[in-house]
Amino acid sequence: MKKRTILLTFTLICIFLFSARLQAAEKVGWVGPVYKELSDSLMKGFKDYYKRTYGKDIEITFVRPGGWPVCVDKVRAWKGKPDADVFLGAGAPAFEVLEKEGFLIPFKPKEWDKIPEKWGGMKVKDERFMWTCFAPWIVTNLYNERVLKALKLPVPKTWKDLLNPIYREYIVQTLPYASGTQHEVIEIHLQSFGEKEGWAYNRLLAAQLARFSTGSVDTTHMVSRGEIPIGIAQPQMNAMSARADGYPVRDLLPDKTILVPEAVGLLKNAPNEANGKIFIDWLFSLEGQKYVLEGRYFPARTDIKFSNWEKEGLTMAKHAKEALGVDSFWDLKVGFVNYNLELATKRWDEVNRYYEFEIYRKWRELKSSLFLIEEVEGEIDAAKKKGIDVSKAEAKIKEARKLFEYDGAYAQARLTASQARTLLVSQTR
Amino acid sequence: MLRGNILISIILWIIIALFVIYPLSFLIIESLKIAGKTHYYSIQNYIDFFKDPYYLKTFGNTLLLAILVLITTTIFGLPLAYILARYNLKGKIIFTALILLPIVLPAYAGAFALIILFGKMGIVNLLLLDLGIIEKPLNFIFGLHGLVFIQSLHLLPFIVLSLSAGFTNIDPSLEEAAEVEGAGSLKRFLTITLPLCSPNYLAGAVIVFLWPFTDWLTPLIFGLQDFLPSIAYINIAYHFTDMHRKYMGIVSVVISSLICVGIFLASKTWVERKKYTALSKGTTLEGRVIKPKILNKLASYCYMLIIAILVLLIPIVLGLSAFSRRWVLQPFPSYWTLDNFKLIFLETPVLLKNSFLFSGMALLFGVCFGLPAAYIITRTKVPGKDALDFIITLMLAFPGIAVGVSYLLAFWKEIPLATHWIIMPLSLFIRRLPYFLRMAHASYLQLDVSLEEASEVSGAGKFRTFSNISLPLLLKGVFVGLVMFFIMAFQEISTAIFLYRGGWETLPIGIYLNWHRGMEFGIAGAMAFLMIVIIFILLLIVARIGGGILGAAWGSSGGRY
Repeated sequence: MKKRTILLTFTLICIFLFSARLQAAEKVGWVGPVYKELSDSLMKGFKDYYKRTYGKDIEITFVRPGGWPVCVDKVRAWKGKPDADVFLGAGAPAFEVLEKEGFLIPFKPKEWDKIPEKWGGMKVKDERFMWTCFAPWIVTNLYNERVLKALKLPVPKTWKDLLNPIYREYIVQTLPYASGTQHEVIEIHLQSFGEKEGWAYNRLLAAQLARFSTGSVDTTHMVSRGEIPIGIAQPQMNAMSARADGYPVRDLLPDKTILVPEAVGLLKNAPNEANGKIFIDWLFSLEGQKYVLEGRYFPARTDIKFSNWEKEGLTMAKHAKEALGVDSFWDLKVGFVNYNLELATKRWDEVNRYYEFEIYRKWRELKSSLFLIEEVEGEIDAAKKKGIDVSKAEAKIKEARKLFEYDGAYAQARLTASQARTLLVSQTR
Repeated sequence: MLRGNILISIILWIIIALFVIYPLSFLIIESLKIAGKTHYYSIQNYIDFFKDPYYLKTFGNTLLLAILVLITTTIFGLPLAYILARYNLKGKIIFTALILLPIVLPAYAGAFALIILFGKMGIVNLLLLDLGIIEKPLNFIFGLHGLVFIQSLHLLPFIVLSLSAGFTNIDPSLEEAAEVEGAGSLKRFLTITLPLCSPNYLAGAVIVFLWPFTDWLTPLIFGLQDFLPSIAYINIAYHFTDMHRKYMGIVSVVISSLICVGIFLASKTWVERKKYTALSKGTTLEGRVIKPKILNKLASYCYMLIIAILVLLIPIVLGLSAFSRRWVLQPFPSYWTLDNFKLIFLETPVLLKNSFLFSGMALLFGVCFGLPAAYIITRTKVPGKDALDFIITLMLAFPGIAVGVSYLLAFWKEIPLATHWIIMPLSLFIRRLPYFLRMAHASYLQLDVSLEEASEVSGAGKFRTFSNISLPLLLKGVFVGLVMFFIMAFQEISTAIFLYRGGWETLPIGIYLNWHRGMEFGIAGAMAFLMIVIIFILLLIVARIGGGILGAAWGSSGGRY
């Protein structure tokens, strides 16, 4: 009798424990700006792996409130009590901020050595193990080849090419504070052309725009649909991804650019830290990297060859090889800027604010000023061809251009251009 | 019994305090914070706002947009309302239903359809390019005019409904008197008819006028950021490390809320002062209906047809993209599929489920709150009932962005509701609070008190009277209110977009994510199409029960708040 009672109690306890375990399902949470294709692919792959390895289901939650600045803000809003375990995606600047504000803890994935330390002068992983790149890409532009062809326009090859008046109203970009990639593009201009020339370039480029989009995905969307044929500041894999979907778009690798080491890091006080670690380890395994490619990002490990994977039957490996033209991401030959990350992080808000106040908010004024300068320049050229001495007007219009490009004094530049026109008229008389 | 009423009133006040006053006060507090300083509050952000020419420009733009939209809707809505209210025409019901369609459509869905149709590589441009009529795509809609067009199309029903309610309510004898005195039809219209329905017009006009102050998404879709609600959204959503940007965003929200509430209250007082009360109610339910002359009849049909076609273009274009996939750079889709619907129903049914669940729960909250509230306001003399009515009505004017942001701020730390999905139906309930209440309110007013009194005299208690007498009699009005509430909750996005998390997405959020943040506009089109179908079915049900689509969409309050 007693034995039976003990046995019964034991069974009951077992059942209780078992059901309790069933109820407390394994969980892991991600937060980050990665595209849906990647999160879907990784979810599928990791669930499968977890079930296979641990014999249990895992519940994955993924929060993507927007681009990476918005994601960082989400983590900030959690105030050290994160609702996720892993920050998935975004380049070094995001992780620098997260680390500085103390939201990360170090973790070294098993296959850490397979990721290059630096590439073209840019950090690919953090030596203190705060973050490691799992899906590298390059900041590029995007164009719709069918629309450009229909408009009989050549493909712009360099940053300077984009300033050609034939592309006026056919370019779209977003605001630097709405997209990390857009911000980086401006930083590329500032660091490669020099600060003064970089802002001058951005003023001139702004005059070429059809409009500002609300984010880099919005840009991709408009270019893919052909609404506007050229999009500035696009993650490199967008062209591969849109092409795989059948949109007639292509990558526009500019002459000077940077690498974005899309990385992963473990959040401090993560509610499911152990599972977060399992996930990161898996992400850098060959299997995890395949799911990265299936999710339309480029895998980061140096020992991966697309041609081998293509033989294994991965269709995305073919698209990747065709999009990049090389067999491994790290074989790419790119003109990188000597990018000063520290400077970029330090002046992040400053650059955004300058762009917003001096270019975006004065967009109309900027355009009307530049267009007048161009008009007068054309008139001066025409007068010159007739053999008229226009030296005074020429000096004046150069002054106007300087005022426009370097000082951003649009109204004054406009006034000076009008003065140049008056001078021209008096000289031709 | 009085104690019971006070208890109910106290409970209602607690709910209002917790879900309206508490979160909105957070909004004010946040707007007074200064970047880089803790525990320091000042009105510096507001000073910055009014000193900054850019914010003043966005303010001016918004005001201009509101005026333009109001003028456009009035010019196009006035003849339409007159035709619908006064002319005895065949097929009027169908036209009415069609013209009302935009009311049930989320405004941004219309914007998407318009881009597919009139965009730079949209249907019209592609056709013109193919025919060789133009060399380069023309810009049809990008700019202020496109925005005015789509918002006017969306808001036209509000003007039409309120005006036609006004035309119907006018005592025919007044107009007849004018005719007898020898006034021509135009003079009669301008001096008698129009002034008499000005309170009705104002009711609709306020909704139209306030809309640009609350809609942040449509301008963004058209690539125009320089509007007050849009800049508020961008500043809050994308501030990153720049706290000043966030506070300025919140200041913009507070200021647009204040404008909305101010204009709303001003028009309300004006209407109440100006309300024409005829001693004899000589009108019938239909009001004055005349048989138009043949020329007028023809012109009316043409006019209704043009508007109906414009309105119908939206569901047609959405339908085209719903049944095709990645339809770009072709005037018409060449590949038809049901994949998009398969995806919605089979692969991600959670969106559909969430939409019904959240709107349903919001509805439940709405009933539990609305019925007692309507009872307290109409049938009792509990102190503070007018204030209760006032606050609830005020929610009509509050922009969704204000509710969304304030909920996110308030329900995070002390009351961590925002971490649970219950926040979604709760916010929907609060946001659409007045809709159900107004409907229940109006039904209560129509219900003769003597019936309830008779029941009580016969010995029935308050509760029994309510469930056996009042409720069955109220049912029709309440039901119409319920469905309208559900429809409004179903298409709500501007609050939900701030509060949703992975797994809580509703159909409108799905549309937004698939179109604006993703590439799958086929799926977005299918979702929008599905929403139109669902809502239209609901509206037809209301029309059958509530009697007449006009009344159904507007409620028995007849166009007054």
